[in-house]
Amino acid sequence: MSTEQRKDYDSANFDLLATELESRFHDGVAMPWTETEFERRSLKAFAHQFDYCSPYRAFCERRGITPGTVAGWEEIPAVPATAFKYFDFVSAPTRDDSAVFQTSGTTRGHEARGCHHIPRLSLYRASLLPPLEAALLSGLPEPMRFLSLVPDPKGVPESSLSYMVGAAAERYAAQTDWLVDAEGNFDEARLSSVLEVVHDANEPVLVLGTALAFLHVLDRSDLRLGPLPDGSRIMETGGFKGARRTISREELYQRISLETQVSTERIVNEYGMTELLSQLYEPVLTEGLDAVGVHLAPPWLRVRALDPTTLHRLPEGEDGILAFFDLANLGSICHVLTEDIGSVAEGRVRLRGRVPGSEPRGCSRAMDDLMAAAGSVR
Amino acid sequence: MTPADVTRLAEGLIRAGEALRTRTSSEIAETLGRVGERFLGAQDPIRTAALKALPTTAGLSPEMARATLDGMARDWTRPRLKRLLEIEFGDPSSLDGLVDGGNRTEMAIGPTLCAQFVAGGVPGVSVSALIRGLLVKGPTFVKPGRGDETLPTLFERALREEDAEVADALAVRYWRGGSTLLDDALLAAADTVTAYGSDATVQALRARLPPATRFVGYRHRVSIGVIGRGALSTGFAARTANDVAAAVGMFDQRGCVCPQAVYVEEGGGVSPSEFARELARASVDFEVEFPSGPLAAEEAAAVHQLRGNAELHEGVGAGHVDHGGSTGTWTVIFEPEVMEGPSGLSRAIRVRPIDDVVQLAELLRPIGAHLQTVGVAGLGDRLRALAPAWGRLGASRVVPFREVAFPPPWWLHDGRGPLRELVRWVEMRSD
Repeated sequence: MSTEQRKDYDSANFDLLATELESRFHDGVAMPWTETEFERRSLKAFAHQFDYCSPYRAFCERRGITPGTVAGWEEIPAVPATAFKYFDFVSAPTRDDSAVFQTSGTTRGHEARGCHHIPRLSLYRASLLPPLEAALLSGLPEPMRFLSLVPDPKGVPESSLSYMVGAAAERYAAQTDWLVDAEGNFDEARLSSVLEVVHDANEPVLVLGTALAFLHVLDRSDLRLGPLPDGSRIMETGGFKGARRTISREELYQRISLETQVSTERIVNEYGMTELLSQLYEPVLTEGLDAVGVHLAPPWLRVRALDPTTLHRLPEGEDGILAFFDLANLGSICHVLTEDIGSVAEGRVRLRGRVPGSEPRGCSRAMDDLMAAAGSVR
Repeated sequence: MTPADVTRLAEGLIRAGEALRTRTSSEIAETLGRVGERFLGAQDPIRTAALKALPTTAGLSPEMARATLDGMARDWTRPRLKRLLEIEFGDPSSLDGLVDGGNRTEMAIGPTLCAQFVAGGVPGVSVSALIRGLLVKGPTFVKPGRGDETLPTLFERALREEDAEVADALAVRYWRGGSTLLDDALLAAADTVTAYGSDATVQALRARLPPATRFVGYRHRVSIGVIGRGALSTGFAARTANDVAAAVGMFDQRGCVCPQAVYVEEGGGVSPSEFARELARASVDFEVEFPSGPLAAEEAAAVHQLRGNAELHEGVGAGHVDHGGSTGTWTVIFEPEVMEGPSGLSRAIRVRPIDDVVQLAELLRPIGAHLQTVGVAGLGDRLRALAPAWGRLGASRVVPFREVAFPPPWWLHDGRGPLRELVRWVEMRSD
């Protein structure tokens, strides 16, 4: 469903808000934001998005909610994450510093891929760097070499993950090796020569990749990913969405650790989605293995676990449907209701994976995949 | 349970088959019917136990659990089972020995061991399945689906009280889907395997079978509804909506017979859009009488995605949506154009307008291979031309909405005779 953009809109307001946010993001993740500050910024963001993004405005008005009626940020309507597949949520004019990211979207068969419009990439850059630095690069005397199992953003401009790794590499890496091409193929020769160089240099490196990419290396008897020098770190992300095989996270990390000689408290899980520009990380590097299963959000992203029936906020620690209010999403929609289940306590998010071996109930099947090709009724 | 346990049980069942084959099919129908009737007996401890356990094990409200049990068990009674035998075989004694059929002298041979892997969701499907196996004198090993363990287990218990010899030929055991070693132990012992479930489940089981094993797969299906102008007069539309709401809401829409979309013809007294509003009203009524069961968080999350997307579409002028909010899981979406989007499968129905139902066959082509039941209203004489066209696409059942949820025991399950699927024939000519 495409959306007419408001050509007449003066983008000054958006730029003002974005500039303020970028500046606050630069202050880093160590200091929590006050509720007052988050509230103030989120209400401003809502007023802007309500004004600019017409499908969102209609959605809010249908619920009788306008910037004039909301008392707090929690009352701001959250759009379903899957709606990014069907609606172009754009809250600022497109310009040179813009991008459109797409989800890989393979979990539901042939459905459309989700699109996230990023009118101002500098805001994404500003939001992604400090959490990544805190979770992966703390206590480093010198820049590390990056070994990326995520494709170079030059080849996949539609990937928000590639953009993230690219931006982080540009900012922090001593040198970056892109070991996987845009189609997901490993550059095997490069991988082995890089490993040799890394081994000889004996300087710690940071390896970044999806669970699937790591699994691919581990399953191939002719590919090696280690041993890596002491002090090396690993960022793993992505899970197994749409993949045919799954192994437990514990097994995966043990196998990565065995292969690379990087201890499991130096393997950091990143949790992100194309629909949200901010990421969450497991703080294992700073807090040790007690932090496994816990994800930290930056201060400009608030996560709530909601009652599955009423969508009211649940008490601390209770499992519910996760909703994210991400100020980095200023250029699209900040408040996103996901299908992910988890709990939140003291600002820490615990994700609950799907129950292993759980069976879908019944012999009935959603007909939407099948109908997708059916086209219009009239 | 270990694979060795499964093998041992299966061997016991195969031995019990000898005694089972000495009984006539009519006797077996009598026995099974007597057991089935206990699920309807007001004071019967079997019914009491079923009604007590079902809301928890099946995740249905007590009211819906009762309606489901009543609807299912109605078909487990003596008259219904005897009728099933007659409809399937003409002369049921062809299961007991050679019968002179006019052109051929023939006999129907049931399985040596019938292994049944049943999907969960709708409680009672496992019982209907095991009845089929036993009726054709096949010792039967049922692995019910998650959420459908209660009724077959109670049936097994009641059968033992009624007739230990027949009960010896039945085993009901649950294990988690994907327990390959247990599955394989059972597959190795059976000569007939039935599987209910997703395409992937059915395919995985079939792929592991030796070539000589008979396989009956009931894979994923979708059902729809079609409403012609004849059922859309101002006086009639409310009744039609009530029937549709019941077909959608029964078993909280977990049955493959439950419609997921209804096509409503233009030009009736009530427009498709108005009919969707009427259906919302009927869904509220149905929710009051038969509350929806609790949803798992993941299921609820899918419902919120469905509703949110529909609200967004409504906002941009593409249809409209009504839903039960936090008081009911039902959702009625009127979509003038097919919209992609998640389906909650928790009493969610899409209402789509169509100029003339004749156009439907072409429209349904993409889902033909998965099409099962077409619920109908207001099509009158036109059905005789429409049903064959839908049948050619893949539909196996065209029935009024009121009959959608509970097909009779002799229904052509996915297009095939439910008992005839389980037997093979031997013919004889004297020398």
